Amino acid sequence: MRTLIAAALALVLIGSRGDAQGNISTQGLGYPTGQMSARAEATGGALADFDALSLVSPAAIAGVGSSALFFQYSPEFRRVTAGSGTANTTTARFPLVAGILPLGPTWTLGLSSSTFLDRSSETSLVRRQLVGADSVNETELTKTLGAINDVRVALARAGTPKVRIGGGLHAFSGSNRVRLSQLFPDSAKYISTSQSATLSFTGFAASAGIEFHPSRVLGFAIAGRKGGDLTASSGDTTLGRGRLPDHYSASVSYDGITGANISARVAHDNWSSLSSIGTNVQGFDSWDYSVGGEASGPRVVQRIIVLRAGARVRTLPFGFNGQRVSETSLMGGLGVPLARDRAAFDFSVEHASRSATGVKERGLILSFGLRVSP
Amino acid sequence: MKSSSLLLRSLATAVLFVSFASCSENLDSSGVCSVLCPPVGGNVQNITLDAVVFDTTVQSLSGLGTESGLFLASRGDTLDTRVIIRYDSLPIKFTPKTDTARPITSVDSAYLLLHIDTLSIKANGPVTIEAYDVDTTASDTSTAAVLALFRPDRFISSQAFIRADLKDTLRYYISNAAVLAKIQSKAHLRIGLRLTGPVSSQMRIISTEGGVAPRLSFRASPDTATASPLTLSPLSSTPAGEAIIAFHLSDYTVIAKGPPPGSPSNLDVGGLPPRRVYVQFSIPLSIIDSATVVRATLLLNQIPNGLLDPADTVRILPSLVLAGKAVTDPTKAAQIVADIALDTLRITPGGSGLKEIELARAFPIWRTQSPDTVPRAIVLKILNEGNSPLEIRFSSREEALAALRPRLRISYSSRVPLGIP
Repeated sequence: MRTLIAAALALVLIGSRGDAQGNISTQGLGYPTGQMSARAEATGGALADFDALSLVSPAAIAGVGSSALFFQYSPEFRRVTAGSGTANTTTARFPLVAGILPLGPTWTLGLSSSTFLDRSSETSLVRRQLVGADSVNETELTKTLGAINDVRVALARAGTPKVRIGGGLHAFSGSNRVRLSQLFPDSAKYISTSQSATLSFTGFAASAGIEFHPSRVLGFAIAGRKGGDLTASSGDTTLGRGRLPDHYSASVSYDGITGANISARVAHDNWSSLSSIGTNVQGFDSWDYSVGGEASGPRVVQRIIVLRAGARVRTLPFGFNGQRVSETSLMGGLGVPLARDRAAFDFSVEHASRSATGVKERGLILSFGLRVSP
Repeated sequence: MKSSSLLLRSLATAVLFVSFASCSENLDSSGVCSVLCPPVGGNVQNITLDAVVFDTTVQSLSGLGTESGLFLASRGDTLDTRVIIRYDSLPIKFTPKTDTARPITSVDSAYLLLHIDTLSIKANGPVTIEAYDVDTTASDTSTAAVLALFRPDRFISSQAFIRADLKDTLRYYISNAAVLAKIQSKAHLRIGLRLTGPVSSQMRIISTEGGVAPRLSFRASPDTATASPLTLSPLSSTPAGEAIIAFHLSDYTVIAKGPPPGSPSNLDVGGLPPRRVYVQFSIPLSIIDSATVVRATLLLNQIPNGLLDPADTVRILPSLVLAGKAVTDPTKAAQIVADIALDTLRITPGGSGLKEIELARAFPIWRTQSPDTVPRAIVLKILNEGNSPLEIRFSSREEALAALRPRLRISYSSRVPLGIP
């Protein structure tokens, strides 16, 4: 009985709140980083289903070549304009780390971790409150840090040069640390308060993918991830349960131009399956379209620089004021081989535009990826 | 080749610069909060409760001589206080310059060096300070026995001062013969000071506890070339075996006549002897346990007290009662307190009407401690307790008019659920 009362109390106290993100991209459970490597991002994501370092299609790891360790840093410089107000923020993300190990000529094992939904935000709101007989300014600080991460173990097989298949098991984990401070001006009269909550997430999913290269110049890829339950809890109390979104994508790649590759991709995520995790979480199923390419560029210090460009249009998973938020991105980047091809540095820059009624958001996302083949 | 190298270096430099620039995260989106930041915390709720279940005036039992000042006053029929300074250890020998020690056979230029709180002086005319020999074998805490010694046969000396003489350091000369007699008889020199004069007057002398003890100074020879001044600090040798009490009794104030107390149905703070107000609350558990108290104010109705200096400012300090359930006597419980306020209430004895005393800082402690450990009670005392005759009076819960009884106004915000949006 005591446990039941404690659980009910915890539900009441920690249940669900925290919608003061101060932007439109981290609404709901957060912003989907895309789980792509800097190389795939530079092509708008069009290469993602063929990219061994991206955490999208498990079949792609079969094309890694030599064993690889990969680490990526992706800061986002965001500018939000709403009414006459503007906010400039910098979000530091480490969205992807991967290790891929070929197990002989046909099999490849991969272990990757990526940021699935990033909810980092901070706001400060001043409002008048009647406290006792006095009307005073209360400053309300809300800070949310944390993300849901996707850890994948994948195994892929490339039995023939034409076909690669792979499967992956995903464990979703992570936490959101939410802190609300209500600050009052005169500490002799008023007590400023602070509350915090830590929300933990646990979930599982499975994915599969296939790449088919009917010719030397043409490639097709299909990938899918079937989501299991995602549980949100605080301590030992379950606060919400939703379904991880199923994800499907299809890509086509063309290598018919010497030294160049052009790809296109379409993906679908049914984010609405996460709506049941909280009363104010409204997920929107989304389509994600991208097109891009890469081409051998100039030779710099005896290294051939790969130049990349792409574009992407997608719907973000969580809306603003009940409306969908779409994101249009233009990307570019380059890849530099290092240490006699035993390492590679990839860089991408993405300009993302998001908008909702009365709010405009511009994001400049830089991605720095370093791949090392030990 | 050169341009290629320059390009690569420029790229590397740019990457390094951007990496450093983005290492410092800045998530603050306050600039757009008018649109994108709906309030998360709830609105502050204000309620006023008749939460006082017990209130009473109690004596401050801080102990004789614990004050930081010695209050010397002569306010006509209203107030008469004396100051006692003990020098229980007097030297019987002195060492002249360029000579060996020899017994003290004479005393010259004996005086008490008194440090006066000049802000406390009230004297519209000349004042006279009389000194009496108040050495007695009576109980140390018997003020009646000491007061009985302010009589002519115990008179030591007298010195008159005009207002301009009363500066922060005052030399009060006393009888050389009286000091010598005590030295030669190896007796205690216990001096009682009394203020007299044609007009009301009062002053506060800094005590040993205040950090600057009144010192006795004299020469053992009238020849200033051979004898350096001897300087003594107050010392009490009694009560034997009670070092702390003896320390406090090295100098202390005795109240010969205090202002009349207020009505027993009132709550009185301050005055001489000093009084405190003990107030116990009954506060809904839902507020203490489940809400976050932002502000709590004890609302009191002040009753004017024009007896002494009605326009002078008194600072009232609320303290948290720490006495647990085992201490049932409110007088004793009112001594076991901890200060909780960062500021004091400034108030004049002659004032009236609604006064507000901030208590919010008590609630975080009440929230974490059970009522058995820390009762929901506070004590009101004045800041310079024992050093001021001023007394503030408030209506108690026995007040016939309900609106004038003590009330507690609480401003709180409910804890909001955080976590999932």
